[in-house]
Amino acid sequence: MGNPLLAFWFRFLQDDDELPRRMQRWIPLVSSVQASATIFLILRRMRAPLIVLITIFAVSVLGLTLIPGQDGEGNPHRLGFFDAFYFMSYTASTIGFGELPYPFTQEQRLWVTISIYLTVIGWAYAIGSLLALFQGRAFRQARALQQFSHRVARMREPFLLLVGYGRTGELLARSFDAMGRRFVVIDADPDRIDALDLASYHADVPALAADAHNPGHLGVAGLANPQCDGVLALTNDDEANLAVTMTAALLRPELPVIARTISQSIGSRMQAFGSPTVVDPFDRFGDHLRIALRAPATYQLMMWLESGPGAPLPSRGSPPAEGRWVMCGYGRFGRHLTEDLRAEGLDVTIVEPKPLPDVEGVVVGDGFEPAVMKRAGVAEAVGFVAGTDNDTSNLSLIAAARRVNPDLWVAARQNRPTSESLFAVMEVDALLVPTEVVAHEVFAQLATPLLWRFLQEVPALGDRWAAGMLDRMVDHCGQELPLLWKIRFVAEETPTLMAWLASGQARLGDLLRDPDDRDEELPVVALMVLRDGECVPGPADDFVLDCDDELLLCGEAGARRALGMTLVVDATREYVLTGRHVPASWAWRRMAALRHRDEGHRDEGHRDEGHRDEGHRDEDHW
Amino acid sequence: MNLEKVVFGFFVLLAATLNFGFFLGDIANPALHNVYELFAAIVVSLIATVLKFGDRTQIGAVHLATSLVADLQLISAALFWTFADGLSQEGLTPAATASVVSLSGGALFANVVSVVLLVVETVSYHRR
Repeated sequence: MGNPLLAFWFRFLQDDDELPRRMQRWIPLVSSVQASATIFLILRRMRAPLIVLITIFAVSVLGLTLIPGQDGEGNPHRLGFFDAFYFMSYTASTIGFGELPYPFTQEQRLWVTISIYLTVIGWAYAIGSLLALFQGRAFRQARALQQFSHRVARMREPFLLLVGYGRTGELLARSFDAMGRRFVVIDADPDRIDALDLASYHADVPALAADAHNPGHLGVAGLANPQCDGVLALTNDDEANLAVTMTAALLRPELPVIARTISQSIGSRMQAFGSPTVVDPFDRFGDHLRIALRAPATYQLMMWLESGPGAPLPSRGSPPAEGRWVMCGYGRFGRHLTEDLRAEGLDVTIVEPKPLPDVEGVVVGDGFEPAVMKRAGVAEAVGFVAGTDNDTSNLSLIAAARRVNPDLWVAARQNRPTSESLFAVMEVDALLVPTEVVAHEVFAQLATPLLWRFLQEVPALGDRWAAGMLDRMVDHCGQELPLLWKIRFVAEETPTLMAWLASGQARLGDLLRDPDDRDEELPVVALMVLRDGECVPGPADDFVLDCDDELLLCGEAGARRALGMTLVVDATREYVLTGRHVPASWAWRRMAALRHRDEGHRDEGHRDEGHRDEGHRDEDHW
Repeated sequence: MNLEKVVFGFFVLLAATLNFGFFLGDIANPALHNVYELFAAIVVSLIATVLKFGDRTQIGAVHLATSLVADLQLISAALFWTFADGLSQEGLTPAATASVVSLSGGALFANVVSVVLLVVETVSYHRR
């Protein structure tokens, strides 16, 4: 809004409360200031080389016009300014056309020799300075920032702002890219940004190596862009995540924010700003384990749905719900998990090198020593958790415990992504990878709003229901998690279905049929229907749909396209729902309508009324 | 005393004085306008322009603009002179001389603005 006239018309034509929020709030942008500063710096640094170059040229040209020469016949002749400038230009740039317009005298050659050395030095100095400035770190950073902000400003579809491109960020980026969601990435580490350039995403991903503590950086990365529809703070640094949460809550309070933390105090400080969703991987793992203890199939279903498109079906673990557990490592993770296990009524023995005076059931010592194992009673335990913050310790703990008791149910914590293959070989029953827990959690919340709602409902439905739903999903869509998407039955999304929905006969099973052959069911599974805020999980084929219902479906991309045809093409809808073939093109429809009318006259209205209404309504659509 | 200001003031003023020297005299008489003086005016004007690079203030921006105008006018004058003296059949006629000198007169005006700016800047500077 640089132009006051524009601002006037804008305010004149639009109500104040309709103004986008970002107009009311000033969001700092860092790029323009930095970039112009860099350009001024370059100009300032180029002063000396340019003045040297101008001076050398001026002296050389002036000298050449003053020194007497001869023309072809030996008459005295001096070079004019134009000739002298022309000669110096091609000589200084080492092109060298020769002595023009006449061969030089000895005096002129003496002067030209001096000039050549002077001008070559002048050029080398000027070009060298310019290249050094372009290679400079400040200039390249400013250029990267400028390009980045242009790319973000050109985003014309909703996107997410991903702060922190570590392991979590990468997993999420892949899932969102597979779903066709756009995102922008900021990470403090330039190596991670280079890694993102190498990763081949379908969509263009603007990325910037910058410090997220600076609100200006968040501003250019999309916080100032009205298309931004969510902020994810996923760096390894709790402090930075807090800063991002704070900035987003203060500058764009309406945006949803999801932040990761492993510290409860930082978590509560985040909650002080608006209502961000705080994801604590240790806490979430404990919650999941509690669900797994009670309902293994529910746990399996939830894990699968959270893993993102293409994920293989996880195996159904069944942690022992009765007996004694041994917990090695009582850090943040151990404490959360012990609380959760004890809340489930399980007996937990803690093994920790340091004495813990205010906790009961502690065996002091290193878990991998046989004597400590014996004291902790690993031989009689049913479950074992290797939860230290060191992968080597965790692996040796698992090995030592299995030697004592091969039937143990083992849960472990994997800290570094590089240890993945080792833990895979150990065949741990439940593995906590904090980065993946966060990624799955964020995906579940952002993929489709209905999925998150569905996951909230699932634990209450019981293990048997979840097992049935899993069987249906595997039957219809196979062992890999298909796409999840939702349909809202409103006129904008499903224009062809409105009359059918209003009829009160809209059975879900009639809709989910193949447009090529309506005897075939589409390979999709309806997970949930949301009606007026009430959930109907796993609606059956004879469920009657209504207007404004929201339906969560899973199925392959092909099935999604086929269903999309039914929702928007009248002829397809007609075939799928009733089996009648009606012409799709305008001309054929007109002819069909005429023929119907003729037949109507001849038969004196013997046709059924419903059919005629259908035909008229179709025309209204066109 | 700031050496940068001395050099800056020197070149801005020298550009104006050389330009004035070339402009002075009967506008159509080639004998009264020395081409070496035009050359010197161009070189000094170019140096003054480069000295004005990289100043982020408002007055610095106007300084740079006046210098660019002066450069444009003087270089046009030089090109016109080159054309009249070397390339056309008639040589340096009174009409051609008048064109060259009037172009440099335009540059003189820009240079005067530049000098005025310099004076304004100096006067408005208070040493606290």
